[in-house]
Amino acid sequence: MSEKVLMKGNEAIAEAAILAGCRYFFGYPITPQTEIAAYMAKKMPKIGGTFLQAESEVSAINMVYGAAGAGARVMTSSSSPGMSLKGEGISYIAGADLPCVIVNIVRGGPGLGGIQPAQSDYFQATKGGGHGDYHLLVLAPNSVQEMVSLTIDAFDLADKYRIPVMLLGDGTLGQMMEPVEFSNDNISHVYEKPWATVGTQKKRKHNIINTLYMSPEELEYTIIERQKKYNSIVQNEIRCETSYLEDAEYVLSAYGTSSRIVETAVHQLRKEGYKAGIIRPITLWPFPSHIYKKAAEHAKAFLSVEMSMGQMVEDIMLAVNGKAPVHFFGRTGGVIPTPAEIVSKVKDIAGGNASE
Amino acid sequence: MAFKLKEEALKPERLTGGHRMCAGCGAPVVVRAVLRALKAEDQAVICSATGCLEVSTFMYPYTAWNDSFIHSAFENAGATISGAEAAYKAMKKKGKLPADQTIKFIAFGGDGGTYDIGLQSLSGAMERGHDMVYVCYDNGAYMNTGIQRSSATPRFADTTTSPAGSSVPGKQQQRKDLTAIMAAHHLPYVAQTAPLGSKHGGFKDLHEKAEKAIYTEGACFLNVLAPCPRGWRYDTPKLLEMTDIAVDTCVWPLYEIVDGKLTLSYIPKEKKPVEEYLKAQGRFRHVFKKGNEWMIEEIQKEVDRTWEDLLNRNETK
Repeated sequence: MSEKVLMKGNEAIAEAAILAGCRYFFGYPITPQTEIAAYMAKKMPKIGGTFLQAESEVSAINMVYGAAGAGARVMTSSSSPGMSLKGEGISYIAGADLPCVIVNIVRGGPGLGGIQPAQSDYFQATKGGGHGDYHLLVLAPNSVQEMVSLTIDAFDLADKYRIPVMLLGDGTLGQMMEPVEFSNDNISHVYEKPWATVGTQKKRKHNIINTLYMSPEELEYTIIERQKKYNSIVQNEIRCETSYLEDAEYVLSAYGTSSRIVETAVHQLRKEGYKAGIIRPITLWPFPSHIYKKAAEHAKAFLSVEMSMGQMVEDIMLAVNGKAPVHFFGRTGGVIPTPAEIVSKVKDIAGGNASE
Repeated sequence: MAFKLKEEALKPERLTGGHRMCAGCGAPVVVRAVLRALKAEDQAVICSATGCLEVSTFMYPYTAWNDSFIHSAFENAGATISGAEAAYKAMKKKGKLPADQTIKFIAFGGDGGTYDIGLQSLSGAMERGHDMVYVCYDNGAYMNTGIQRSSATPRFADTTTSPAGSSVPGKQQQRKDLTAIMAAHHLPYVAQTAPLGSKHGGFKDLHEKAEKAIYTEGACFLNVLAPCPRGWRYDTPKLLEMTDIAVDTCVWPLYEIVDGKLTLSYIPKEKKPVEEYLKAQGRFRHVFKKGNEWMIEEIQKEVDRTWEDLLNRNETK
């Protein structure tokens, strides 16, 4: 076990990426994630890595495309408006089946929005954001420590499945400091990348990275093939944390920052005699639908708590599939919900005073 | 008409006080000076790229701007002002706006929003030749997000993404010559200027260039040096000392290009060594460390090369 250090979430992500073997980082300044770039700018030259500040997010993501194609462990980070600009490049990377890690430290939107934390990019992260039939594997940490472990895992998952992996945090997690530990236990594997375009040495056929298909049948074939990979991710990579679920009548669900608040609220509700439980998805895609489905067998109602106007709630509804009412409580635009608000919402639901 | 600041200052302010720009920041000084060149009776549509200027002067529902103001995103001030100008032209042609009313279109962007992410939309706007002025307030880094290098950051400057230390000497590249890129768009008027101390005529150069840019038909460009006390690390009252020394060392030459003809606006009798510019700023502190003399030599060499080039191209000897 190594010693604990006090670190900002953003810095912890950067350090974890380096620990995972990331040696290429392409960034662009935007609040509230710029510390990741500044940390990389300081550290990368010292360890023979590359830090490069692009002239825009569009360029940064396409640098990632290039480095990923060459088989490098590569990362970029941004915050919501910058992620919109990266959308095109992300779609290309997904279409080319290339591994990389993309960090989104979400702030309030749409438009310029604000610089305060939000969870309003759930749709963008899990349903596309860029064009075409594709998925990102989306990991949602809820502590600085988990930002470390999930960043390391993100690189492994990306290489394992040749898929862009998104680490979805928010301004709170990026900016807050918590004690973290960098242990060597979960240091990632090295994956062979025979598909990488690194020169043939005249010993093999050319590797080709491409997203353009003139024949619709050929394009359809690649999409169907990719779908098999997605199915295997759904089978094997779902991560979810639950508590007090066994006898829960009221199932509260949240990810990231809001899950910490929900935890406090559920402790309060249990003290007051309400049978409340928590489902916290750690992978937002693939979504832990089966856990909700199972919980729906005994739950009286579900409540999704988000820092948005209700995005994950749609996935919960799909999972619960009408077996129980699914309610929503959210604050947005950079406002963070309080435990008291959540407790009172659950009491309203329990008292039959809340509409779905 | 000769420039008299006292008279010009009597005009109503178009960027009013109460905004949240830092003490000692060059940007609002530049904006006020540019807007003073507008005739009092003329209206303006101002567009600002994302940056310190935008976030600190337009905190909705509060605004420091007395003219119409548009902000959309970081990369598109050139495109946004183009659209506004095109609409104005069309509405005027159709008689939907009074014939005797003049509206000027002015965009402001920092160097991040202009040299880097906004270059594409700026180039498009300039090439199409909208009747507008784009003013870059160049403070040489992304100051709004906490001092990251931009392509306008001078070589060896210390920023959070070009940190000076044992592995990296600060920013490793020369700054981009944006004024030359804009001139290559064959614009009717391009100028480089700065707000200056009284020994250099104060605001005269900036005022006159802004006036020409605003009242020359077509797309015009101003590159204005706008020091940043946070990023450059100087004492806030020393703003104009920073620009004065930039001009005296020829780090920031003042010139204008009218229909392709370049005229130097100021040729110092004695060009000061670049150290005087560097030593005034904390971001260059490391170049004075023992063993880093080569950095100063390199900076001097580049300044000399650019200055010689301008002297050769100067058509008004």
